[in-house]
Amino acid sequence: MTAQTVQQGDLVTVIGLEVHVQLETDTKIFCGCSTEPTDEPNENVCPVCLGLPGALPVLNEGAVEAAVKIGKAIDADIPEETRFHRKNYYYPDLPKNFQITQYDEPICADGELEISVEGDRRTVAIERAHLEEDPGSLQHVGGGGGIDTAEYTLVDYNRAGTPLMEIVTAPDFRSPDEVRAFLAELEEVLEYLGVFDAERDGSLRIDANLSIIPEEEIDGDAEEIDGDALEAANRTEVKNISSHKGAQKALAYEETRQKNAIQRGRAVEQETRHWDESRGITVSMRSKEEEKDYRYFEEADLPPLQVSGWKAEIAIPELPRARRRRFQEEYGLSEEAASKLTSTKQVADFYEDVAGEFDPDLAATWVADNLLGELNYRDMEITEMEGRLEEVTRLVELVAEDEITAKNARETVLRSMLDDGASPDEIVEEEGLGKTDEDEVQQAVVEAIDENPGAVEDYESGDDGAINFLVGQVMQKTGGSADPGDVNQLLRAELEG
Amino acid sequence: MSDDAVSPEEVRHVAELARVGLEDDEVDQFTRQFADILEYFETLDEVPEVDREADLVNVMRPDEERDSLDSEEALRNAPETEDGYFKGPNVS
Ligand SMILES: [Zn+2]
Repeated sequence: MTAQTVQQGDLVTVIGLEVHVQLETDTKIFCGCSTEPTDEPNENVCPVCLGLPGALPVLNEGAVEAAVKIGKAIDADIPEETRFHRKNYYYPDLPKNFQITQYDEPICADGELEISVEGDRRTVAIERAHLEEDPGSLQHVGGGGGIDTAEYTLVDYNRAGTPLMEIVTAPDFRSPDEVRAFLAELEEVLEYLGVFDAERDGSLRIDANLSIIPEEEIDGDAEEIDGDALEAANRTEVKNISSHKGAQKALAYEETRQKNAIQRGRAVEQETRHWDESRGITVSMRSKEEEKDYRYFEEADLPPLQVSGWKAEIAIPELPRARRRRFQEEYGLSEEAASKLTSTKQVADFYEDVAGEFDPDLAATWVADNLLGELNYRDMEITEMEGRLEEVTRLVELVAEDEITAKNARETVLRSMLDDGASPDEIVEEEGLGKTDEDEVQQAVVEAIDENPGAVEDYESGDDGAINFLVGQVMQKTGGSADPGDVNQLLRAELEG
Repeated sequence: MSDDAVSPEEVRHVAELARVGLEDDEVDQFTRQFADILEYFETLDEVPEVDREADLVNVMRPDEERDSLDSEEALRNAPETEDGYFKGPNVS
């Protein structure tokens, strides 16, 4: 291992990612067991996902469709032919002692995803994305529950066989912030495609490679790095990251740890490190097999796939980035508002429903600020409002038609809708929030006074006849529905007040 | 023994990958046995070539749930279980 030269202040961080996402299918990738989480272990298992002798895998069409959608969304090639391999390793989370995965012929190659980091646009290259099966889950029991100190292991194969997509990026990230922005964008895209459920525990798992190289090794363009320089620098692979916030923290820690080592003239070990979320540090892991030890070979039980034609057949929805741009152009929204309103497909669809019926600005205020704000305060998601969004639309209608004040709508009606489950009309009725005819007449009185300073001056200088002119103005504004005697009284009260 | 015969180092490596502990005399024994087994495979060279079956592609099933095993059945062959889990030694 060569020690790296000490260089102060001219070091660059280079990060690449392997992102594992669980695909949201009804059944596992190679058998018909359900992927729904259950309370009991080993409930959704069968001879295939338990690796019993003689059982044969049959590929789930839904998982392949999801993979093609992802390929389309990241603008990847879907090769003419793609196939599966066995990756051999011996560990009890794999009942067969091998994982069915893809090796040299992945289903997606050469894609990209555009991200924004503090207003700057960056394109991250995605080298490949492939299908594979999730292993089962282990619990290390006794001896404090540590992986090294446990007395024994409990194994649950409910998760074994859940379809996974492993998305591998080029080493295109220069900071943990960029990684976080990428993961957030990727999650949004996957949710728009309807192939991923971010709420499901363990649905996103990230391994990250991080190295520190001298700045002069980067060619003029900040995106291109000299491959040899990257090869020469030792890197660490950080495992066990399960969220974008976790990725940012883990990589910021690892970046500092490596820079400190280099600046003190110490070598960075090439090794695998484990992110310990609770302690906020990465720790060295005993290194596992090398690539050749996995003894990859073709999975003969699964014939090859030829699905490049599916790319044209399978439709995908407008993606968040395009929709964000369109919202700014079509509805005249700020970037911030457009960003909030496209954060999930459900929010964006609902906004478009409301903006189609009422003023787009009013709709933006109601969906982005009021609704999302109140939901956020209650730690709720818009998906929990399913079946009740029509009530929110009705509330916006009440405001748009001036039947209740915006303040009452927001502070009383919306909150009570979320807390008590009542409908907006019920709440307006119960709380007596409807604007009455008297309110309308009173408003017309105030307007008539504001708009006719001459008549007001005449009245104040003793010309009592001027009041009749003002009464006439109010009658006109209320379409003749008010009682002239009452109007006269109201005007006098207002002018004397 | 032919030139490509298995070396004792290779036997140790494979044993390590399979998490099997071998004593030195066992390494010798397996080195010989591996060589024998590889020799048996050479018999395959004598099998005449035949046309393979028509190539299959795109064999898939719809994303529809099928009955799983009940957990009692699933755990029936396990030497040890606990609360519905398979139970095994520490595996750090
Ligand atoms: Zn199964």
